[in-house]
Amino acid sequence: MQSSPNMLTKFESKSSRAKGIAFHPKRPWILVSLHSSTIQLWDYRMGTLIDRFEEHDGPVRGIDFHPTQPMFVSGGDDYKIKVWNYQTRRCMFTLNGHLDYVRTVFFHHELPWILSASDDQTIRIWNWQNRSLICTMTGHNHYVMCAQFHPTEDLIASASLDQSVRIWDISGLRKKHSAPTTISFEDQMARANPSQADMFGNTDAVVKFVLEGHDRGVNWVSFHPTLPLIVSAGDDRLIKLWRMSDTKAWEVDTCRGHFQNASACLFHPHQDLILSVGEDKTIRCWDLNKRTSVQSFKRDLDRFWVIAAHPEINLFAAGHDTGVMVFKLERERPASAVYQNQLFYITKEKHVKSYDFGKNAESPPMLSLRKLGSPWVPPRTLSYNPAERAILVTSPTDGGVYELIHLPRDATGAVEPTDVKRGQGSSAVFVARNRFAVFSQGNQQVDIKDLSNATTKSIKPPAGTTDIYFGGTGCLLFITPTSVVLFDIQQKKQLAELAVSGVKYVVWSNDGLYAALLSKHNVTIVTKTLEQVSSLHETIRIKSAAWDDAGVLLYSTLNHVKYSLLNGDNGIIRTLDQTVYLVKVKGRSVYCLDRSAKPRVLDIDPTEYRFKLALVKRNYDEMLQIIKTSSLVGQSIISYLQKKGYPEIALQFVQDPQTRFELALECGNLEVAIEMARELDRPNLWNRLGAEALAHGNHQTVEMAYQKQRNFDKLSFLYLSTGDQEKLSRMAKIAEHRGDFTSRFQNAIYRGDVEDRIQMFKEVDLYPLAYLTAKSHGLTDEAESILEACGLTEDQITLPTIDEPLRVPQPIVPTFKANWPVKAAAHSSFEKALLGEVGAGDDEPAAIEFEPEEEDEAVAGRDTFEDEEEDVAGWDMGDEINVEEDAEFVNVESAEAGAGSTEADLWARNSPLAADHVAAGSFETAMQLLNRQVGAVNFAPLKPRFLEIYKGSKTYLPASASLPPLVNYVRRTVEETDSRKVLPVIPRDLETIANVDLQEGYAAMRANKLEEGVQIFKGILHSILLNTVSSEAEVEQAKKIIATAREYILAMSIELERRSLSTDTPEGLKRSLELSAYFTIPKLEVAHRQLALMAAMKFAFANKNYSSALSFANRMLANGGSPKLLEQARKIKLQSERSPQDKVDIEFDQFAEFDICAASYTPIYGGSPSVSDPFTGAKYHEQYKGTVCRVSEVTEIGAPASGLRLFVPGQY
Amino acid sequence: MDPFSAEGELINIHNAFHQGQYPAVIEFDTSALSPENQLPAGILQLRAQIALGQSDAVLADVAGGADDTPDLAAVKALAQHTTGDIESAYTLAQDLAENYPDNSTVQVLAGTVLQAQGHSEEALALLTKHQGNLEAVALIVQIHLHQNRSDLALKEVQAAKRWAQDSLLVNLAESWVGLRVGGEKYQAAFYVYEELASAPSTAAPLSIVGQAVAELHLGRLPEAEAALSAALEKYPDEAELIANTIVLNVLAGKPTEELEQRLQQTHPSHALLSDIQEKSDLFDTAALKYAPRVSS
Repeated sequence: MQSSPNMLTKFESKSSRAKGIAFHPKRPWILVSLHSSTIQLWDYRMGTLIDRFEEHDGPVRGIDFHPTQPMFVSGGDDYKIKVWNYQTRRCMFTLNGHLDYVRTVFFHHELPWILSASDDQTIRIWNWQNRSLICTMTGHNHYVMCAQFHPTEDLIASASLDQSVRIWDISGLRKKHSAPTTISFEDQMARANPSQADMFGNTDAVVKFVLEGHDRGVNWVSFHPTLPLIVSAGDDRLIKLWRMSDTKAWEVDTCRGHFQNASACLFHPHQDLILSVGEDKTIRCWDLNKRTSVQSFKRDLDRFWVIAAHPEINLFAAGHDTGVMVFKLERERPASAVYQNQLFYITKEKHVKSYDFGKNAESPPMLSLRKLGSPWVPPRTLSYNPAERAILVTSPTDGGVYELIHLPRDATGAVEPTDVKRGQGSSAVFVARNRFAVFSQGNQQVDIKDLSNATTKSIKPPAGTTDIYFGGTGCLLFITPTSVVLFDIQQKKQLAELAVSGVKYVVWSNDGLYAALLSKHNVTIVTKTLEQVSSLHETIRIKSAAWDDAGVLLYSTLNHVKYSLLNGDNGIIRTLDQTVYLVKVKGRSVYCLDRSAKPRVLDIDPTEYRFKLALVKRNYDEMLQIIKTSSLVGQSIISYLQKKGYPEIALQFVQDPQTRFELALECGNLEVAIEMARELDRPNLWNRLGAEALAHGNHQTVEMAYQKQRNFDKLSFLYLSTGDQEKLSRMAKIAEHRGDFTSRFQNAIYRGDVEDRIQMFKEVDLYPLAYLTAKSHGLTDEAESILEACGLTEDQITLPTIDEPLRVPQPIVPTFKANWPVKAAAHSSFEKALLGEVGAGDDEPAAIEFEPEEEDEAVAGRDTFEDEEEDVAGWDMGDEINVEEDAEFVNVESAEAGAGSTEADLWARNSPLAADHVAAGSFETAMQLLNRQVGAVNFAPLKPRFLEIYKGSKTYLPASASLPPLVNYVRRTVEETDSRKVLPVIPRDLETIANVDLQEGYAAMRANKLEEGVQIFKGILHSILLNTVSSEAEVEQAKKIIATAREYILAMSIELERRSLSTDTPEGLKRSLELSAYFTIPKLEVAHRQLALMAAMKFAFANKNYSSALSFANRMLANGGSPKLLEQARKIKLQSERSPQDKVDIEFDQFAEFDICAASYTPIYGGSPSVSDPFTGAKYHEQYKGTVCRVSEVTEIGAPASGLRLFVPGQY
Repeated sequence: MDPFSAEGELINIHNAFHQGQYPAVIEFDTSALSPENQLPAGILQLRAQIALGQSDAVLADVAGGADDTPDLAAVKALAQHTTGDIESAYTLAQDLAENYPDNSTVQVLAGTVLQAQGHSEEALALLTKHQGNLEAVALIVQIHLHQNRSDLALKEVQAAKRWAQDSLLVNLAESWVGLRVGGEKYQAAFYVYEELASAPSTAAPLSIVGQAVAELHLGRLPEAEAALSAALEKYPDEAELIANTIVLNVLAGKPTEELEQRLQQTHPSHALLSDIQEKSDLFDTAALKYAPRVSS
C-alpha cells in the first residue's frame, strides 16, 4: 500500500482471499468470510483472532452481524445460508433453498429477515425466527451479485451481472407479516409451504425500478443512509450514482477512475463521500457532490473484493486477495493546544474555538480554516503563541502545509482569517515568543522563522527525523523512528539524545520540567534535559496524555484513563466507552476532546494516585487526609504498600488479623504481631513470631511463643541462656510431671542438679549411670546406697577413669529480667502523623480579656457603619492645583536633543492628588496640597507613608553592563501609554486598608491591646490621607473608614486615659467613672460597644453608681448579643433597680446627646461651641483650635480646608 | 561580517555576556575560535570580569597591551572608571574617542565611561558613529532612556530592528523601551525576559530581574514575588534583585527594613538608597515650613 498521509490503517490480517466483511455494531469485532471456506472473527482493536467458524464447504462470500442479537449469518458457494451464534460458537441452523452460489447475505435492521442474493438469479428473503423462506424475487436474468435492504424503507436494491440494478418494493411482504392475527388461512398455508409458493403473480415483492446504465455486469449496490441515492459498482470499471423519487429513478453521474472491475462501493455513513474498491488494487474515495476523486490508495499486489463501513464510528474495512485491512480515512484526533486555562482546538467544521477550563464554557467559533489544506483533510496540529495570540496550524495536504494566523481579539464567529502566512512543511511549532520552527520531512530541514514568515535560521535535523516538537524554551525535540533528540536552537547544538522508538507525541508537564513521550504502546517520562525518568508499556494503544498539576501523568488508551507517577507506578483510573484525547487535568476533572472534537469533562477519582504520590513524596499528612476522607482501603493498595516497602503504613489500613500479622512481622512491629497471634492462636504463627522475636532479642516474647507452642526443650534452653534458674527448675518439675525423662535429664544438666539426675536414673532403672554420676560428683553415700540397692559391691564393677565433673557455668548477668536492649523502634513519620492527629485539638485558643464570644460578631462587615453627616461635596470640590493640561504640557514627541522630563514629573502634572505627588517625589507640592485640603501642618508622622509610597514607585532594571540600572516608574494605569494620563501606583489601596488594616485594628480592640490599636488606626488614617481610589463609591468607603478610625482612636484613647488614673482619690475615682462612661459614647461596632458598656457597667456597679450602671445595662440589653453578656447585664440591672442612685456624682448625662472632646475627653453638649478637625472630623472644645489634632496627629484643628481629594473622575 | 551575527562563532559568548551570565563568559573556551575573533572574545571576558567587580585583575591584565591596542585601552578606561579612578578614566576615554572613533570596542566602552560620568552628549556623539554595532545601539537606547527620551530610544530600536531583528540585544533594548512606554509593551517585555529566564541555558539574575520588573509593572505581584524570592535564594547579594524586592514588598504591604539593610551592606551606593536618603532629607526640610498655629 502506498503510504498515503490520509489513510490510517488500524488493523491488517493475513489470510486467503477475503470475500465478505461485517463490522459488529458495538464491539471492536469484524467478521471476515474467506475464499478458503473459513469465517474469522477478529478483534481489530487488540489485533487478535477471537474465533474461526468452519462449516461451509467452499468459499464463503456473504457475511453479516445481526444488529442486536448475538448472531451472524453467512452464505457460501455450497448454496447454504448458515445462521450462527457467536456466543455458543455454533451454527444454529442452515437455510437451504438456493440452487447456486450465495453471493451476499444481510439481516433486516428490525424484522427477523435475512436477504440473500444468489447465482441462481434469485433474491430470497428468509425469516430466521421460524427458519423459513418467505419470499423469492425473480427477474434478474444473470447472477445476482448483491442485494441489500434499504436502511429505513421497505425497499431492496439488487445488482446483477445482467448489467442492471433493480429496486424492489417489499411493502406487501411487510404487510403480510406484520399483522399475523389477520392472516388468512391461505396465507398460512402459503407460509407453511414456501416451496410451493407461486412465483408468478407474487405481490409480496415487486420490481419498482430497473436501473440500466452499466455496460457490464454490476457487482455491488448500496443505498445512501439518509438520502434517496444509490451507488453501484460494475465490471465496466465505473461507479454510478443514481437518484430515485417515489415514481422514478435515474442515473445522476458516473465516477471514472478504476482501471479494472469495480468490486464494491458504499456511501460514507457521515460524510459526503463514496468509497469504492476494485480489482485494480485500489480503494478510491469520491466526493459525492462533485463526483470527483478525492483520494485513492493503491495496494501493490492484492485486488480488492469488498468494502464495509462501521455503522457508527469512522472505520472501514476492505477485503483483498491476502486478507483484510481496517482503516480510517482521516485522523480523528482534533488539533488542539492548551495554554493556562484555555484550550484552543479545531472542530470538525474546521472552526477554531477555545474552551475556558475555569468557566467550563466553549467560545463561539473564532476563525474558519475552511481554506486550509484540502476539503476532506482535517488539520493535524495546532500550536498556540500567547504573546502574539497567534496559532500555527498544520495540515498534511500536499506533503504538509502550515498557516500562521493571528486570532481575533473576540470570538465573533467563523470568519475567514485575513492576514495569513503560509508555507510548506510537515510540522510547525512555536519555539519562542517570536519564532517558530517548520520541519519539512521531504528535504529533512528545519527552518526557524520569524512572525513575518521569513527564515532566520536553518537546521539540519538528525537523519530520518519524522517530526518535531517544542523542547522547552529555545529548544526543539526531533523525533526519529528510534530516538528523540533535544536541540538548542540558539547554540545550534544537540543537547541530549535518548533512544526511544516510535515516539508519536510529546506532552509537557505544566511546570515544563517533565515531558511524556508517547508511542503506540509505550509512555516514556523524561526530564526537560531528556533524561529518562521512567517508562511503561501498554498492550492497548496509547492515545493521549495530560499532566496533573502535582506532576502525575494521566494518559488515555483506547479504553482506559490511566495514570503514571514519575517513578513509573501506574494504574487505571477509569474506563472509557469511546476514545478521547486528554487535554488537561484539573482536580477531579479530566478535560478531553472526543472524536467529534467536542470538549468533554470526565469525572475521575484521583484518590489512588494522589495517595501514591503522597507516599512517594513522604507527605504523610496528606496521606492521612486521604485515608480519612476516602474509602481507599483495598487489597490493591495494601499490596502496593507492601510491595513498595511500606508495611508499617499498610498496617494502618488492615483489619484482617492474618494480614496484620504478616505486615507486623514484616515491619518488626512485635506488639501488633503478638496481639494478632493471640487473636488467631495458631502454632504456625507462634512459631514465626518466636523466630522473629528471637532475632529481635525480645526473649520475653520468645518465651511466650514457646509456651504457646508447648515447646519445652526450646523453653528450657531459652531459660538456660537467659540464666533464669527459677523457671528452669520449674521446667524440670514440669518434665517430671510429664514423665518425660529426656527432658528432665536435660533440665537437670542445665541446672547442674546432680541429685535430680541420679534420682531420675534410678527411676528409669539405669543404675550404672546413677552410680557413675554419684561417684563422679563425689556423692559417696549415694553411690554406696545405689550399689547396695543393686546388691553389688565396689569390686564387682569396673569404672572408667573419672575426670573432674563438668560444672554448668552460672550466668552472671540476669538476662531474663529484661529483654535485650533494642534501639527503640521510632514511630514512622506516618505513625507520628497519625498520633499527632489524635493529640491535636485539645488546646483551646488563648482566652482574651474581654468576652471571647464576641469574636464572630466582631468580624461583621464594615458596611454596618453608621453614616456620618458630613458634607459630601467637600470631598470633590476645591481644586487647588489646576492642571492646565495642554498649556503646560511639554510635548515629549519633539525630536530635539536634550533630556526629557521623567515620568515622575508627568505624574505630578497629571494629578491633583497628594499621593500622586508623593510618588513623583514632589514632596513640597504634596505637602502644599495636604495643607490646603485638610489643613495638614505636622508632617512628621506621615514620613513613613511618604517614603513608602515613594519607594514603591520605581523599579530598577539592569541594562548595559557597568552602567547604573534603568529606572522605570510603576503605574497604576497599567494599560495606559498616553503620557498625559499615566499615574503612579500607590501601595496599600483602600481594599487592603479595609480588609487587612481595619481588621487588625478590630482584632487589637478585641484583644484589648489598646495602645497597639490606636497606632493601627492612626496608621489607617495616614494611609488614607495619602491615597487614591477609583470611584465615587470608594470615596464614600474611604470616608466611612476615616470615621471608624476616628471613633476607635477616640474610644481607645479615653480608655487608656482611664487606665492611667488612680482611683484612690475621690477626684481620680470620679474622673475614672466619667471616662468609663465616655468610653461608651464613640460609635464602635456593636460588639465592641458592648465591651465598653460592660466595662463601664461593672465599674459603675462596683463603685455603687447604680443609676449609671442601670443605664449601661439597659443599653446593653437594647443592643442584644451574646446570652452570657446579656445575662450579666440583666443581673446588674435587677440589683441596680433596687436603689437607682449614683454614689459618686459624675459629669455624664445619660439622656443627653453629646460628643467627646478628643483633647480633654470631656463632653461637648449640643449647642455649646466647638471646633472640628478638617480631616478626621473629630470634635474639640474651642480652646483647642489651632493645635494639632490628637486623632490624626497631622492636621490642625479648625484650619480652613477644602476637603481631602482621593479621586479624580475620568482619571482611571 | 558582524562577528556577533547569528552565524558567527562569537554568538554564544556574546549572548551570554548580555544575558548577564558573566561566569559563563569567563569560563568560555576561546581556544577554538578563529584568530580574528580571539580579541573580541578576550575583550568580552575582560568586561565580564569588570562586571563581576574584578577590575583590578583586569587592569593588571591589560597593562601591557593597552598602549598598542585601542580595544584594550578602552577596557582599561572602563576598569579605571569602576575602580574609582574617575579622572584618568575620563581622560583616557576622551582620548580614545578622539583617536579611534571607528573602533567598535572603543565606541562601546568609552561611551559607557562617558555616560557613566554624566557626559551623555559626548557619549552619544561617539556612539552615533557606529557602523552596525548593536552594542552601540543598545547603549544609545539606554542613554536616551536615561534622559527620558523614550521617543528617541524607540526610534533607535526600530531602526536597529530593520537590520538585526533576531538579535538578543535588540530584543532586550526593545524591552527596556517597552517597560518605559508601558501598556501592551509591558507584556511584550515580559515575554522576552520570561523566555530568557525560563530557559536553563540563558537564566541569570539579569533576566529574572527583568521578568520580575515586568510583572511588577503589570501589577502581578504574586508572580513577581515568586520570581524574586526564588532568585534571591540563589543570588542573595544581587543588588537589583534586592532593590526590586524592596519595591515589591512596599507594594505588597510587607516590611522592607531587613532588605534595605542588606542592600546597605552589599551595595551602599545603590541608587535606591541614595534616592531614599535624598527624599528623606527633602521631606524633613519641606516639613519644616509647616507648623500648627498654636503649639500644644
